[in-house]
Amino acid sequence: MAATRRSRRMAADILTYFVLVSMSLFCIGPIAWMFLTSLKLEADIVTQTMQYIPNRITFQNYVAIWTQSSFPVLIGNSFIVTLITVIVCLATGTLAAYAFSRYTFKGRNTLMLGYLVVRMFPAVMMIIPLYVVLRSVGLIDSRIGLALAYTSFLLPLFVWMLKGFFDAAPKELESAARIDGSTRFGAMLWIVIPLARNGLVASSIFVAIAAWNEFLFALMLTTGQGSRTWPVGLQLMVGEFQLPWGVLAAGGILSILPVMLMFALVQRVMVQGLTAGAIKG
Amino acid sequence: MATLSLQNVQKSYGGLQVLHGIDVELEDGGFLVLLGPSGCGKSTLLNLIAGLDDISAGDIRIDGRSVVELAPKDRNIAMVFQSYALYPTMTVERNIGFGLEMRGINGIERSAAVKKAADLLQISHLLDRRPANLSGGQRQRVAMGRAIVRNPDLFLFDEPLSNLDAKLRAEMRTEIKRLHGRLGTSVVYVTHDQIEAMTLGTKVAVMKGGYIQQFADPQTIYEKPANMFVAGFIGSPPMNFVTGTLTSDGRLARFEAPGVRVEAPMSSGEIFRAKAAVLGIRPEELKIADVTGSMLTGTIDVIEPTGPDTIVTVRVGDQAVVARLPSRFSSKAGDGVYLRAELAGLSLFDAVTEMRIQL
Repeated sequence: MAATRRSRRMAADILTYFVLVSMSLFCIGPIAWMFLTSLKLEADIVTQTMQYIPNRITFQNYVAIWTQSSFPVLIGNSFIVTLITVIVCLATGTLAAYAFSRYTFKGRNTLMLGYLVVRMFPAVMMIIPLYVVLRSVGLIDSRIGLALAYTSFLLPLFVWMLKGFFDAAPKELESAARIDGSTRFGAMLWIVIPLARNGLVASSIFVAIAAWNEFLFALMLTTGQGSRTWPVGLQLMVGEFQLPWGVLAAGGILSILPVMLMFALVQRVMVQGLTAGAIKG
Repeated sequence: MATLSLQNVQKSYGGLQVLHGIDVELEDGGFLVLLGPSGCGKSTLLNLIAGLDDISAGDIRIDGRSVVELAPKDRNIAMVFQSYALYPTMTVERNIGFGLEMRGINGIERSAAVKKAADLLQISHLLDRRPANLSGGQRQRVAMGRAIVRNPDLFLFDEPLSNLDAKLRAEMRTEIKRLHGRLGTSVVYVTHDQIEAMTLGTKVAVMKGGYIQQFADPQTIYEKPANMFVAGFIGSPPMNFVTGTLTSDGRLARFEAPGVRVEAPMSSGEIFRAKAAVLGIRPEELKIADVTGSMLTGTIDVIEPTGPDTIVTVRVGDQAVVARLPSRFSSKAGDGVYLRAELAGLSLFDAVTEMRIQL
């Protein structure tokens, strides 16, 4: 009996690991392939027989994308647009999330639902009105304009996420702070935000990653080099260089580096943040 | 130190009224206990006094000054919460000194005040710790330290002992009483524990359904409960209620039920003709009697020795009466028994309105 049970459990374990490992390979595969390609010489990329592990390693592709293209500008633009988006979300979203979490006011639920409705529509639908609005205020093809466009669809997500974290912070702490001499805003600043710090980091990184990787809005709302971000720039290189696979792969790797770095630095905080409130105590 | 005056305080949430015209006066240095079951409005009332919630009508005065328009921080009150509400990201020292920090008191003065409060509560060795590294009793002390360090006009306690185990609860109760005696600051204390109410309060307001059922000193609440709710809520084991009829000729009142006969002189002169009434007898008022002086006659149903005394359930007619008798109790279940009580220890209630009948 015991032996059967043990072997059954082992079979289940093997199956679980098989599924998990194959899913991980499926996710990591393209990135690993891109990384290996970026280290190959152009001649080793398109060959008769598939070369999985490069015979010769070169960093020429990285040098090429950084020195012979506008890639540094693209990365710089992406950085600025992402930064503005995160700052605007932090400044306005934090207050909005706090208000939704703590105050009961007329139209509160409708307003929160309205925030969700924005997320309901595909981005393509939003682009034309957004384009018209941005053009009329002269923000087309500008980094601020693009950041505002990102804010328009990332802010609701930010507010909803953060509201959950604020809800989890005990209200009595704020009451104590208000009796101790804080204003409502002071209590939020000194007590609630330090408590929801992990949530704030997690939500901000979500917004940052989404803004960093965004393609469609960037393609439609930027036209010149001055404000173009890396996803669009990289895509446009396809025609320019007649499919220089190695250089493109190097660009891809460089572009996801900041995201990976951010994730590596804060992954623990982020997991804590995302599971906070799930377990009481 | 300050007086507290609640005048016709009302609170509604939308169409739902949770407090109906609360009137309470607390003397300077007094200890007011708001006592009642869950949902009776006692915590709401405390929040209104603290200013954490706005009142719908009426007035709240601390030391004669109306505070309803003031923010919590401007009322010069301090509050201890049921969950202690210690700031988890700060050390004990900063937790205690936070109120002073917010009021712009400089570091040296603040440290001195925190140290003094910590010494008083014997938590000086914990000042560098975070709340997460404290036991329940230590957290409770820190929460009290945070309250006393500011030297407020009024302390508010919201069920501060309900998260502690029985032994620690008794210890902290004594500690609170000692602190109150030493500091002399007026206190409003919310609890559902009648022992805390009886031991701590100089005044007790028993609440139910957003109304004050009785507002008096603990002794009066215990001995002369205003209605059956108050009578049943205070005391453990609770007061016995025996239903029967009340008859009087203006000078002598007689309560009768199967197995029960009580006669008492009366001064109100009121005439009752077999009025449906309820006799209230506290278990500790009942004594073993002989046939001639007995008020209740019945048979013993259950005997429960508790150590210091014996709880005996007696069948009187078709009703059960619980008596708290001395520990050396020789009878056994099934034996007949005669019981009596001092007249002063009895209460009579109207069976319909459940209000106390004054003889």
